[in-house]
Amino acid sequence: MRTSLLIRSTAIATALACATLGLAACKGAGNGSGNGGAGVLTIQGDAGDPTLTENFNPFSTTQLEGTRLIYEPLEIPSSVDGTYTPFLATGFKTPSPTTLTYTLRSGVKWSDGKPFSAADVVFTFNLLKKNAALDTTGVWAQLASVTSSGNTVTMTLKSANVPFAATIAQVPIVPEHAWKSVGDAAKYTNTKPVGTGPFTLQKFAPTQYTLKKNGSYWNAKNIAPSQVRFPAQSSNQSTNQLDVTSGKFDWSYNFLPNVQKTFVARDKQHNKYWFPPGGTIALFLNLTKSPYDDPNFRLGLSYALNRDVIAKKAVNGYTDAASLSGLILPNLQKYLDPSLPNKGLVTQSTSDAMQAFAKAGYTLKGGKLTKGGKQASIKVEMPNNFSDWIAAATEMKSQLAKVGVTVTLDEPQYAQYEKDIQAGTFDAAFGGFGGTGNPYTDFNNALNGKYAAPVNTPTVNNFERFKDATVDSSLSKLAAATSTNTQMQATYELEQYMYRNQPMVLLYYGGSWGLFSTKHFTGWPSAQDAYMLPTTYNNAMLVIVSRLKKA
Amino acid sequence: MRYVLTKLGLFALTLWAAVTLNFILPRLMPGSPLDAALAKLASNGVPITNAQRKAIEVQLGSPHGSVVSQYWDYLGNIATFQFGRSYSDPTRTVAGSILRALPWTLLLVGITTILAFVLGTLLGVYAGWRRGTKADTSVTLGATLFAAFPPFWLGLLLLYVFAFKLDWFAIKGGYSEGLSPNWSPSFLNDAVQHSILPGLTLAVTTLSGWVFGMRNNMINTLGEDYVTFAEANGLHQRTIALRYAARNALLPNVTAFGLSLGAVLGGSVLVEGVFSYPGLGHLLFEAVTNHDYPLMQALFLVLTVSMLTAIFVVDLLYARLDPRVRRA
Repeated sequence: MRTSLLIRSTAIATALACATLGLAACKGAGNGSGNGGAGVLTIQGDAGDPTLTENFNPFSTTQLEGTRLIYEPLEIPSSVDGTYTPFLATGFKTPSPTTLTYTLRSGVKWSDGKPFSAADVVFTFNLLKKNAALDTTGVWAQLASVTSSGNTVTMTLKSANVPFAATIAQVPIVPEHAWKSVGDAAKYTNTKPVGTGPFTLQKFAPTQYTLKKNGSYWNAKNIAPSQVRFPAQSSNQSTNQLDVTSGKFDWSYNFLPNVQKTFVARDKQHNKYWFPPGGTIALFLNLTKSPYDDPNFRLGLSYALNRDVIAKKAVNGYTDAASLSGLILPNLQKYLDPSLPNKGLVTQSTSDAMQAFAKAGYTLKGGKLTKGGKQASIKVEMPNNFSDWIAAATEMKSQLAKVGVTVTLDEPQYAQYEKDIQAGTFDAAFGGFGGTGNPYTDFNNALNGKYAAPVNTPTVNNFERFKDATVDSSLSKLAAATSTNTQMQATYELEQYMYRNQPMVLLYYGGSWGLFSTKHFTGWPSAQDAYMLPTTYNNAMLVIVSRLKKA
Repeated sequence: MRYVLTKLGLFALTLWAAVTLNFILPRLMPGSPLDAALAKLASNGVPITNAQRKAIEVQLGSPHGSVVSQYWDYLGNIATFQFGRSYSDPTRTVAGSILRALPWTLLLVGITTILAFVLGTLLGVYAGWRRGTKADTSVTLGATLFAAFPPFWLGLLLLYVFAFKLDWFAIKGGYSEGLSPNWSPSFLNDAVQHSILPGLTLAVTTLSGWVFGMRNNMINTLGEDYVTFAEANGLHQRTIALRYAARNALLPNVTAFGLSLGAVLGGSVLVEGVFSYPGLGHLLFEAVTNHDYPLMQALFLVLTVSMLTAIFVVDLLYARLDPRVRRA
């Protein structure tokens, strides 16, 4: 009785406060930045902490995401399967495994009216060479020189690395005339950006910035939005979910539980979602430790798992169990080795698991898997705020208990987790594998022996510290391949190795959580038209926004 | 005079200890600003490479020199009010971030603290005076109920009902998206709209403390001989309640009020987080998440200094109000 009375009186107090201040204004506060109508595209933007910092420096790690619509790179490869969409270049050739030549688009202008030329491309690359802090993708670890002649830019690599074109192509190009006088480029916030892209900065406010269409853009007739708004995100996940489901965005990126009910049902006609796989979640075992360095032990773990159940527990069944080939399917289907059984998918089998464990010297006694009197145990680390990983690990723990392996979960803060995995001071850890849309980059980042730093020397790539001469030779073969045939062959070798040795135990696909409204714009990526992952935080944005059509 | 000097000396000593702790504590946290920056990228799903790690290391310009030299720099910077740049975002200065967030917290938390104190104290006086009656029971029960609400939970509930379902208020922020803070009436009106839900959450959840404190003090005071004497003299009930009992019962609550005013600048981490309010509490949360040592240090410093100042002022006030304290 009393409870309801008190809650009601709170409601009355709020209503009163609202009424005294003018109800119209109250309502207005809620709708002030909603869908803006004709031609306005609203994208859920950056997280403010607590407000946004005006930063349109395309090389800064704290740049506002809208910067990606102001500057253009040479080309953007699809994060689904690596297919290129050309921007400032019209295409590239690989005359040799160490040379890339880009032909530049003609008639392109900077938003201040000055013409774009090959000199700007050369200037940009040399800017990164001079300022290590700007080279966030490490292009100068591979490049030897960048030169131009006419409308051709030639990139010479230190060693054969054809797939590295994907990284080079994505460097945003800045105008020499505006950037040559910039002092410390790493701290430069570039509040009056001059770019070649389809949009220019219109207005910045601490909780929202807007871009307007660049009328002189080379492809202006195909750009549908006249304005793009980026309202800041909350750093609180629950608040964000309410914001997203209230329907104010045309495009947002959020994991929502039960998306049919929480999102689609709110506007069945327009609300669409696409949750394609965007990476593989795996159990990384520290390969400098025994028995984790024994492939038979890893295979035993692998057979003991029911990945479908793990995926269901982790991500509501939005994505599937992972193919052990290391490829994300169906995204990279065209690279899949046809000789792999069942597309590299493995079903749970206790007898196969026991066979593999036996090869590793383990026997099951009294419900415990032991070797030399010691029970097999794994301490698995993961960040404490990744609820999907924790759900997967909890399920994995109970599945492995059935084959006599003890799993303990260790859930530190993210920064501690990051420190441990980089230093190699962990037993096992959950982590992401792949997701670049390019098999070479996926495999190379995770398996190249040259990244396997000694324990306590930090490394982000290959933190499980894998080293194998045959894999390294397959990787260099793939790096030097200029023909599709050799490319496929080398990729198949790597898939086979992954499948048979499982350097990391692949579990399920991590999702990419695209939420769209077709009320104002259509042409969003979907399972039928999978041209790009629906991410709002990388170059995917430029490709997706350029393909939108007015609804 | 000697009393004041002793208190001043103590103030300086406590300040030094707090400032030093402030330097040590953030550095005891596991992980570094670099790890936190990488973690932020990775949790977005960005595949991280060693090249990125190296570039970010250079961009952030992570801590230089030995801990001792960092400590001396730190003391020197505090003395000259130079707080440098954020580690998590070298494009912004620490002082700028704090100055932007300060007014929001000062107004939201400051006003709600005062409101909660005034309202809570009045309710406490009322409940204490009418002790044992139905009125007392409802006030006490109500206060208990609200005291049991975790503030962020109440915040989410209000957000869901009044902002999401009824659409009376905005879901987040201190003002509408697209506006820049200024002094125009329309902006102020907008800001007030945005502060109602977080303000209500804070006020409701802090009210109970004042109610309980005041009610119990009242009941104690009402048992004193001078109250009985006043009643025997036939003074008006209201006069006894307000002018004799409440005035004396108020003293301990005033001390607590001084301290909670000192804590205002700490903001309210959880409530500001739920409402994405652009205040100091939210800023502190982000600073801790990002291992932003300079920002954390400066924020803790602001908090410590305002707290110590509040204690100092309360001490001086007490000496004024109660002569016994001066001699002790």
